[in-house]
Amino acid sequence: MPDPRPTHRRTLMTRLRPWLRALHRDLGYLAVGLTVVYALSGIAVNHIADWDPNFDNFEARHQLALPLPADDQALADHLLRELAVADTPTEVYRSDTNEVSILLENRSFHVDTQTGAVLEDGQRPRFLLRVANWLHLNRGKKAWTYVADGYAGFLLILAATGLVMLPGRKGLIGRGGVMVALGVAVPVLYVTLSGGP
Amino acid sequence: MATSKLSPEVQSSLTRRSFISRAASGTVIAAMGGGMCYALSDRLTREARAMALDDGRPRLPPGQRALEALRPMGGTPGSPGITDFRLKIHGEVERPFELDWAGLLAQPQAELELDVHCVTGWSLLGAAWRGVRIKDLAAAAGLKPGARHIVFEAAHGYTANVPLREGLDPHAIVAHRLDGKPLARPHGAPARAVVPSLYFWKSAKWLIGIKFVARDEPGYWETRGYHNHADPWLEERYA
Repeated sequence: MPDPRPTHRRTLMTRLRPWLRALHRDLGYLAVGLTVVYALSGIAVNHIADWDPNFDNFEARHQLALPLPADDQALADHLLRELAVADTPTEVYRSDTNEVSILLENRSFHVDTQTGAVLEDGQRPRFLLRVANWLHLNRGKKAWTYVADGYAGFLLILAATGLVMLPGRKGLIGRGGVMVALGVAVPVLYVTLSGGP
Repeated sequence: MATSKLSPEVQSSLTRRSFISRAASGTVIAAMGGGMCYALSDRLTREARAMALDDGRPRLPPGQRALEALRPMGGTPGSPGITDFRLKIHGEVERPFELDWAGLLAQPQAELELDVHCVTGWSLLGAAWRGVRIKDLAAAAGLKPGARHIVFEAAHGYTANVPLREGLDPHAIVAHRLDGKPLARPHGAPARAVVPSLYFWKSAKWLIGIKFVARDEPGYWETRGYHNHADPWLEERYA
């Protein structure tokens, strides 16, 4: 809406505000993708004690009927046939006197040759989250450091322009100011009350 | 109705107030329910807190909760196979050497019941680990007098530093079996370090090297704000 006040009465901020809004809007759009990546990954990695944010780890038990083939490779073929596993083993070896381990791409089978009991364990990469965590934790390094720094810069600009975007009662001198104070108070109080680092 | 006489602004405020109060009530109820489940399910922790180690320290370090099984804590997996497994013993030693899988199994094996403590707050007590004592590997390599620290080297460049005292403790091993089974993939198969006297991130998974050094070399997490020593009983979690 055009400012009804005469041009000479407009303050610097009034004149800047449309530009700040435009900047805030466009940087906001640009930051959406990375914000989703960092936020999802942040939640995932925060709770690393409760789950593996990168892999779906699984374990299962199976039973093979006796007798089992005496040859390790024949035993592996027999197991894969019985469990209808189409993958090709990467390794087959004696992991103990009475135990044969069969390794595949994302899982392993450990067969007790005396009882036919089979323990399966494996890891399936989590769709999207593994990549998000990889980016968030900057495991890729190299150019990603610049992208992440740029994104952090965008967030700072978004915060700064957001502060002054709205004039009046809902802006920094009204409700906006209270909300900013609350937002700042959370980390300050937490550090103060917890004793800090 | 009385509300019908109110202005739309007041009505909107009431709706907002009602939404906030309902959301707050829901949050409190969910938190109480979760807390109750947590308290009821924590028998293991209560039992562990009643136990003490031979030296008088509590068996469960402060701030820890006992679990029934090891939790996978992430990390970039190395190869779980044994064909390409190599463990390099090097650094401040007279006779550096490398072990393949058969070589590792040919070393004197230790069967130990160990407690391990994760910096995130869980502990696994009394699990049966099998592996080779690091002090035996150090003796085989001929440790030089100048060696002061051990750096565990793992897949994808992960490292963790451990003082020689904790690393050469008879309970510190290169483990390849847990509870009678080969080490599972998420736990560092085929072999990992286990140093039970320090927080578990020091016990590098997918181990490929043990380097003895004269000067300390903080590892992956130690250079990212975690404590350089990491004694669970002193709660040395962060630097």
